[in-house]
Amino acid sequence: MNDWIAFFQQVMNFGPQIMAGLGNTLLLAAIITVTGLVGGIVVFYLSLSHNRLCRKLTEGYISFFIGTPLIALLFLMYYGLPQWGVRLSPLLVAVIGFTMNVAAYNARYLMTAYRGLDQDELEAARAQGFSSLQVFRLITLPQVLRLSIPALSNQVILNLKDSSVAFLIQYTEFFAQVQDFAVRNFQFFKAYLMAGLVYLALVSVIVIASRWLERRLILPGVRPL
Amino acid sequence: MSFIDILALLATGAGYTILVTLMCSATGMAVGLAIAMFHRLGSRQVSACLAVFTYVFRGIPVLVLLFIVFFGLPGMGIGVPPLVSMMLSLGLIAGAYLGEVFRGALDSVDGNEVLAAQAMGMSRMQVLLYIELPQMLRFSVPGMVNEFTTVLKYSPFAYTVGIPEVMKQAMALSAATLRGVEIYLAVGLVYFAIYKVLVTFVWALEKRYRVPGLTEH
Amino acid sequence: MVLLQTRNLGMEYDGKPVLRGIDLDLAEGELKVVMGPSGCGKSTLLRCLNRLVTPTSGQIIFRDEDVTRPDTDVRALRQRIGFVFQNFALYRHLSVLDNVTLGLRKLRGMPLGEAVERAKHELRRMDMVEHHHKYPAQLSGGQKQRVAIARALAMDPAVLFFDEPTSALDPLMSREIINVINQLRRDNVSMLCVTHDLFLARSVGGRVLFLDQGVIHAEGDAEQLFGNHSDPRIRAFFSQEAGNQ
Repeated sequence: MNDWIAFFQQVMNFGPQIMAGLGNTLLLAAIITVTGLVGGIVVFYLSLSHNRLCRKLTEGYISFFIGTPLIALLFLMYYGLPQWGVRLSPLLVAVIGFTMNVAAYNARYLMTAYRGLDQDELEAARAQGFSSLQVFRLITLPQVLRLSIPALSNQVILNLKDSSVAFLIQYTEFFAQVQDFAVRNFQFFKAYLMAGLVYLALVSVIVIASRWLERRLILPGVRPL
Repeated sequence: MSFIDILALLATGAGYTILVTLMCSATGMAVGLAIAMFHRLGSRQVSACLAVFTYVFRGIPVLVLLFIVFFGLPGMGIGVPPLVSMMLSLGLIAGAYLGEVFRGALDSVDGNEVLAAQAMGMSRMQVLLYIELPQMLRFSVPGMVNEFTTVLKYSPFAYTVGIPEVMKQAMALSAATLRGVEIYLAVGLVYFAIYKVLVTFVWALEKRYRVPGLTEH
Repeated sequence: MVLLQTRNLGMEYDGKPVLRGIDLDLAEGELKVVMGPSGCGKSTLLRCLNRLVTPTSGQIIFRDEDVTRPDTDVRALRQRIGFVFQNFALYRHLSVLDNVTLGLRKLRGMPLGEAVERAKHELRRMDMVEHHHKYPAQLSGGQKQRVAIARALAMDPAVLFFDEPTSALDPLMSREIINVINQLRRDNVSMLCVTHDLFLARSVGGRVLFLDQGVIHAEGDAEQLFGNHSDPRIRAFFSQEAGNQ
């Protein structure tokens, strides 16, 4: 018991750094949630293109980013690009890398939801004289997004958890600070356990928020995937 | 040093990448199957415990759990070797996700068939073994492919605990040659190749055991 | 000789009686048909008899053995009763042959070769042997039901239970199943059939029990009951069912 009290004393002393790290984690997770969603919608839109080449390219994009580890891309930009004189900040590298990765996943969720859509409805909208961009914006997207809420909110949880990877490219987010704290105080087990619990608590907040969102946005008679 | 040379050097680490992926996937399968089975057979208390396990292991980042196991446990007097650390972090997390996949698939098994098997005189265990599991595994293929892919993609974390897999080779190479762009591009390609082989293999296996009219939609 | 007998059998669900005071007996080699409106407790009755559902009162005597006693080996009892379901309930992941051999191999411990022999024999009897390699999804409803019957017969049961065997089938396929039941009758297979299909009840002969609201109201030959019965409930049921045909 006493060593836990001592541990919390040490944590309190390190408090400002840890809080700053937590702020950075939330910042990164929030940015890539937004950019990943926008990117996902763009990729999804391209996947519906009438141009075969465009569809093939989006398919290849999704498949490649789903099949390769994010840290290869992060390391390429962070450790590779300086050889060409391009030095990006860790946050920028993380935002670019995560956005490309998350967009691929989000696009796939949207494509799955699209396949479950009533095609007659889209046909009807086209017959009514809407342009294809209007059909996408007014009919397809609102429905597909609603249907994908569970998958998309799950992706938000993944974003938060995976943001810890950014510590490997020197982004001083929460886990990087915990790591620093653990080394300085020689408190590995307790520090990492605390980190795990903090992530669990943050995930719980997202879970509750997404349930609330789901209830608010759900359409009568339409079940999300 | 050509791009081909880089690829060839990285490929020497591919064996470890595949080993880590397979071991963690196998752990995940074992844990996931156990979760699904205990959930099906067990009492309400058992189900509640499993739900807590699933929630915790789905909520914790792989890297954090890996550090708890590999760097944290030795402080408690428990030394864990690198590969086992990967299995106890990435493997258990994969198990929590696969457990959900399997539970969903079990719900797709027709209750009438279960009833028919019971009416035939089968025990609960026999019904699970001969009717529910074979169907569940077939229904779970897409979810399993997703999860194996995820395991492969998190396998580079093994470099943080000193396993000489692809990423570790790449870092050593990049420090020596300062040609990070080509090297990490090659890393991406190596993983993508492993991913393609893995996915092709699983779907070939699925095709081998496919039952007409069971999984096509 | 009496094969199966119930004495004052009752079953309650959530405090509501589903079956009350059922006295039923089935002799070896006999066929009996239980009819009644949906929700009358017919299916529950069958499920009580093989203990898929536990009766709340009364006794079931199966070949001189009280199978309502708490120490009854329920699984052994079920292995002696072949059960044919309304929705066929074939195992979708197994071929026709494997559907029939599964019980023989896993419950009887029969070696594969012998089980295949036995299964093919029953499939031949049901005129399904040439389809033995197919999967359930590749069969018509009537074919599925014949496989289900072969699967039940393969276990060499003391009695066959049919739970609405024709209600998921069109008239032509129903006829297939009626022919099968008649054939089994000639082979002296003991059978208990629950149905609301008047045509089925008439075509297979046998004694008919009329069940309504969990109580047996009448028993007799098919024609006796179908004729102008004194009980208005029975008259109403049969005239309505006849209208549905």
